[in-house]
Amino acid sequence: MPYSSLKKWRDEKWMEHQDSSQALNEFHDKMMKKVFHVALQKHIETFGPVPCRYEWFVMGSGGRFEQAIISDQDHGLIYEEKSDETKRYFLSLGKELADGLNEVGYPYCDGNVMSSNPVWSKSIVEWEEQLSKWLTEESFESIRFLLIFYDARVLVGEETYCKKLRKLIHDYVKRNPHLLERLLENTQHVKKAVGFFHQFITESHGSHAGSIDLKQSGFFPYVNNVRLLAMKESLEATSTLTRLKELYSMSKYTEDLKWCREEFEKLLQYRLQYHNKTTENYDDIHYLNIKELSKDERKDMKHILLNGQKLQNYTQSVIKGMIDT
Amino acid sequence: MEDIVFSLNSVWLILGALLVILMQGGFILLEAGSTRMKNAGHIAGKTVFTFGLASIVFWAVGYGFIFGGNSNFFIGLSDFFYSGDQAEGMAYSTAAFFMFQLAFAGISLTIAFGGFAERAKLSAYLVFAILFSVAVYPVVAHWIWGGGWLAEHGKQDFAGSTVVHLTGAMAAFAATLLLKPRIGKFNKNGTSNNIFGHNQVYTALGVIVLWVGWFGFNGGSTFVVDDGFFGFVALNTNLAAGAGAVAALIISWMVLGKSDIPTILNGALAGLVAITASCAFVETWAAVLIGFVAGILVFYSVKFFDRLKIDDPIYALSVHGAAGIWGTLSTGLFATPELATVGKPGLFYGGGFSQLGVQAMGVSVSALYAFVVSFVLLYAMKKVMKGLRVSEEEEIIGLDVSEHGNYGYPEAFIANEEKNRIAN
Repeated sequence: MPYSSLKKWRDEKWMEHQDSSQALNEFHDKMMKKVFHVALQKHIETFGPVPCRYEWFVMGSGGRFEQAIISDQDHGLIYEEKSDETKRYFLSLGKELADGLNEVGYPYCDGNVMSSNPVWSKSIVEWEEQLSKWLTEESFESIRFLLIFYDARVLVGEETYCKKLRKLIHDYVKRNPHLLERLLENTQHVKKAVGFFHQFITESHGSHAGSIDLKQSGFFPYVNNVRLLAMKESLEATSTLTRLKELYSMSKYTEDLKWCREEFEKLLQYRLQYHNKTTENYDDIHYLNIKELSKDERKDMKHILLNGQKLQNYTQSVIKGMIDT
Repeated sequence: MEDIVFSLNSVWLILGALLVILMQGGFILLEAGSTRMKNAGHIAGKTVFTFGLASIVFWAVGYGFIFGGNSNFFIGLSDFFYSGDQAEGMAYSTAAFFMFQLAFAGISLTIAFGGFAERAKLSAYLVFAILFSVAVYPVVAHWIWGGGWLAEHGKQDFAGSTVVHLTGAMAAFAATLLLKPRIGKFNKNGTSNNIFGHNQVYTALGVIVLWVGWFGFNGGSTFVVDDGFFGFVALNTNLAAGAGAVAALIISWMVLGKSDIPTILNGALAGLVAITASCAFVETWAAVLIGFVAGILVFYSVKFFDRLKIDDPIYALSVHGAAGIWGTLSTGLFATPELATVGKPGLFYGGGFSQLGVQAMGVSVSALYAFVVSFVLLYAMKKVMKGLRVSEEEEIIGLDVSEHGNYGYPEAFIANEEKNRIAN
């Protein structure tokens, strides 16, 4: 089956999966898996059978199971055997995958976080080396990569390698809790969307004038801080909602995070409901024009945004407190 | 003793003239920094050139229109082609006074050209430099400073919030309406784009040069050094500029959630423009307040024009227009009985509404005159010259090349051209 018919199928079906973020993301998963199998089939026809065991995982919003209607691709590969041959094989498979996903409607990742990039396509041994390097290096880039990888969720293959790598991170963090503080710094800058007078701070210029940047101002504080707390508590889950649920069940967080899950669910729902329906552009999807909201919804949205700031402060105090004591 | 005072006064006036002429340099930096690289050379060059042209016009007719005798309702009618003669009874060199006044006329014109930025033909600059210097600036200046009817009413405009700044801004307003917005400024859906300036450091340097120049502008307007009053004028000037910058920072932080640099720079300038009318008539606390209000006003004024889809590339309408109006009105509120050597004390000093009324009327009539006449002149130019604006292609490649055949930043552009040639 060529990609074009997959795209057609997607275009026909996806309207049926827009009721909830859960349904939409199940659909995305299904779609991406289909693309993988088409790509794999094509690749096998040209380059022969798969040489060894492997896992294909998605990251970013895909990894967190919270993709918007339009979402770019972030994915990587882990395979068993380290050799030049396997490297070549999986890199070209990665290339096929990236092209296929792009054709079907998942635009290429600007940051080149794709299986076609040797950084994200490696044997398990090399992955372990690379991850150790990222953990110890603490440079701007390695911190960023680490945060991206931490949301990895396996779509194809058994989830053993990925688990192993996540354990590596958890063990390191337990031994070196100061890393969390370094990670905190990386995600501390949040674009303000509610101002001094409790007013929305919307984009003043450009094609998104009058809108707020839901990704930067809304999602980032929740996603980044929940991820950090998850890392601190060695959670396995990658979705923000599941992480929140698991954190909430730990008595020390119950009181402080009880409002969080609901707020984040609402955020997902708002994005789904009010995205620009005429666009095919990935950048447009994150902007919410507040004029479209009712009075109550505006109040609600402000609440969500302010609570994001609150969560940010809370996480900061948890992590700083942990280091100090 | 009288000779010494005469000499000192003359030195002070020439020093003022130098500082005000140096403000042209401030405007070059301000305007070039706030616009794009491809127009930088043009902006710098046209400023020098139009100041030269305005100087000659001022010598030929401008000075006579403003300060000459035999005046009618609009202008005076003597002292054309000023010879450098000393006027009888003047406490300073008349030639120095002429230079000082010439510098002011040049500033008003440069402000007007803010409304032309990045899209007007060079020939439009040339023709309008003459027309503005003949028919717009001298009339308002005569009314208020040359013994005209507004002077008789006791209108207070110490150094020209109305005469220089508002007059220039009104011409800029007429120009920007007739020229229409720059390509890419507004979107079809009504939203506006930020056309970023290419060098914020230039813009900030421009503001500092203007700030310093303003001590000549306001301080020099005492004309005489006798009692050292210029020191007080300079003090008020500085306070208002500082308060304007601070207010702009606060308001941009509160409304936009960030300390926006262009807003801060505009705030300092707005404070300066506003205090220009009132610097000699108000107490220091009032100077702080006047500057502070100007800093907030300029922020909202910029938003206002943006919403009306009026493209004001270097914020001339807000900085010189809105703040000019506020500054002129402010003396009607804060002028003290001791300091109001012209007119009456302001509303808050027991003067009632009478001075405020004089200020309001003077500022409205002057603004209206400057706007209407500029609009008519520019409209006529547009018809006769087959448009005021360069072609779309020329605007896109930039005025440096289209109007002057040269780049302001040759390395940056020519290197690119060569690369393209090689690639082809």
